[in-house]
Amino acid sequence: MLALTSDIHTPLHNWRAGVKLGLLSIAIVTLYLLKSPVLLAGAAGLTALLYRSFGAKFAAQGLRMLKPLRFFLGFILLWQVILGDAATGFAIVLRLATAVSLANLVTLSTRLDDLIDLVIWLASPARFIGLSPKPLALSIALVVRFVPVLLERANHMADAFRARSTKRPTFYIILPLIVSVLEDADHVALALRARGGLDGAFNP
Amino acid sequence: MQTKENDLVMIALFAALVAVLGLLPAIPMPWGIPVTAQSLGVMLAGAVLGAKRGGLSMLLFIGLVALGLPLLAGGRGGLGVFVSPTAGFVVGFPVAAFVTGVVMQNLRIDAMVASGIASLIGGIVVLYVMGIGGFWMLTDKGLMASITIMATYIPGDLVKVVLTAIVVGALVKARPQSLLSRQ
Amino acid sequence: MIQIQSLSCQYGDKTVLDTITLELTQARVGIVGRNGSGKSTLARAFSGLIRPEQGRILINGIDVLNDRKSSLSAVGILFQNPDHQIIFPTVEEEISFGLRQLGHSKADASTKTDETLANFGKSDWAKRPVSTLSQGQRHLVCLMSVLAMAPSVIILDEPFSGLDIPTTRALQKRLNQLDQTLIHITHDPAMIADYDRVLWIEGGKIIADGAPETVLPEYLRVMEADDAGAHL
Ligand SMILES: Nc1ncnc2c1ncn2[C@@H]1O[C@H](COP(=O)(O)OP(=O)(O)OP(=O)(O)O)[C@@H](O)[C@H]1O
Ligand SMILES: [Mg+2]
Repeated sequence: MLALTSDIHTPLHNWRAGVKLGLLSIAIVTLYLLKSPVLLAGAAGLTALLYRSFGAKFAAQGLRMLKPLRFFLGFILLWQVILGDAATGFAIVLRLATAVSLANLVTLSTRLDDLIDLVIWLASPARFIGLSPKPLALSIALVVRFVPVLLERANHMADAFRARSTKRPTFYIILPLIVSVLEDADHVALALRARGGLDGAFNP
Repeated sequence: MQTKENDLVMIALFAALVAVLGLLPAIPMPWGIPVTAQSLGVMLAGAVLGAKRGGLSMLLFIGLVALGLPLLAGGRGGLGVFVSPTAGFVVGFPVAAFVTGVVMQNLRIDAMVASGIASLIGGIVVLYVMGIGGFWMLTDKGLMASITIMATYIPGDLVKVVLTAIVVGALVKARPQSLLSRQ
Repeated sequence: MIQIQSLSCQYGDKTVLDTITLELTQARVGIVGRNGSGKSTLARAFSGLIRPEQGRILINGIDVLNDRKSSLSAVGILFQNPDHQIIFPTVEEEISFGLRQLGHSKADASTKTDETLANFGKSDWAKRPVSTLSQGQRHLVCLMSVLAMAPSVIILDEPFSGLDIPTTRALQKRLNQLDQTLIHITHDPAMIADYDRVLWIEGGKIIADGAPETVLPEYLRVMEADDAGAHL
């Protein structure tokens, strides 16, 4: 299944996921401590340069991930300008755009498997209080496996609906889709149990 | 005959369902985030699975979004989501499902009516309080701005409350054993 | 040895298995019965997948319902519908999951998976997405994942439905060679004609139990006489 990891290889791809996450946290806290629009503009500029240094195509990918934000940011800026505090408006917009871009940078440069391993590793101290990371690992595997299956099924249902109706299908396929998921859940639980389920030896 | 494998699989499959509901054809909105059936999935997770399983299921869902899967409405995902103005909504998913489940489990009236009330409280009141709270924190009190934008999503969410009740009503008839919130 | 002590199963208020007590020591046991008589439910209970309303199942002394870990090497089940058995997207992952559950390391499981596939002459299937296989081919994947785990009892719930004649023959031959105990649910009396013991289940009860020569002719007679009154 498609993760958001970029195919364009950057030096960041080789960094440890934990290191990237640690640096990201520091960067975001710093951004929230900065109040001056000038310093924040500097941070935004540095982030843009960082993206650009990994190539124009990679930078374009980063920009595309910011797209859903553009109206929100525009609206906030406009609002603050109307309130007569343009400086705060610019500060908020620059801070948000920079924070989101930096976070996306980690997402773009880290493989899903590495992040899953990191999460499992972070969850493993729970072993000492009798919790196992296995349910977590299994449920992640199940979601990753079932999203494409359910999406394909929903599209089949929508096609079958459109073949006999001119209405928009989304509303009508929701109930059958949910019933099918509940049926799947029964079967998968049985199949999982047949191979040891949560008592099996498999450990992530 | 609910086994722990049943619980695990239900939690995982509802997380997958919520992802798929966010990817189905949607009504586009000028602010970039379309109106999708995704929050319907959040309400259903609570109303069908109950508080604990529903909450865990949505926690799994946002966890996978954080890991970089583009599962949010409009194909969004990744860590950036959690520092963007709408972060409160996403973080609110598990809380909303949990509260929906709590109400559903304790409101011992007709399941269909109960699920409507539960999803109104969990899926709208709780989710919006968290969503607006997040916006307020991340944008330095741009409170009015946030409420104005978010208000445009409320009509759609009211429709989803009705849909949740319809789905739960149908499940009571077709698969009562799957309505774990009422077991 | 398989011991079943007053086993009862219900779906809702419908009793599907009704206080069944059995002791199976034979290496080849066949189960027959009409649609809906409770065969698949019995198979699920045998392998500890469902919690019966009442009763216990012990396989070689292992409580298969509660001791899931030990039951993995005690009993394996081939589901009636392969799509209900397959969990993972590729053939390789599907087969190796069970091996990992048994405690094999990742590398070990991967080697054993390759061996199993090679054994069936299907090495090229390793990376195939399961969704691209035909129904019969998926059935074979399920059988391979069960055999890879080498449980001492294998329950087959209509293993040949959807398989073509050459594949059925080849599989039958392979099954006959297995050292393991087989419990084989089927609608085809010919499949189990040379078995050690046959159970005939009807409405959740065992109504005949004995050598195939005694049980099967009577079963056939009733099924053929009954065709006008078939009820589903
Ligand atoms: N999940 C379920 N929920 C409710 N009823 C069920 C369920 N599974 C089976 N049943 C019912 O239990 C009875 C026994 O079913 P079972 O699947 O064991 O039959 P079977 O002998 O395997 O039939 P077939 O030859 O068709 O495979 C049937 O009446 C069936 O309708
Ligand atoms: Mg059957």
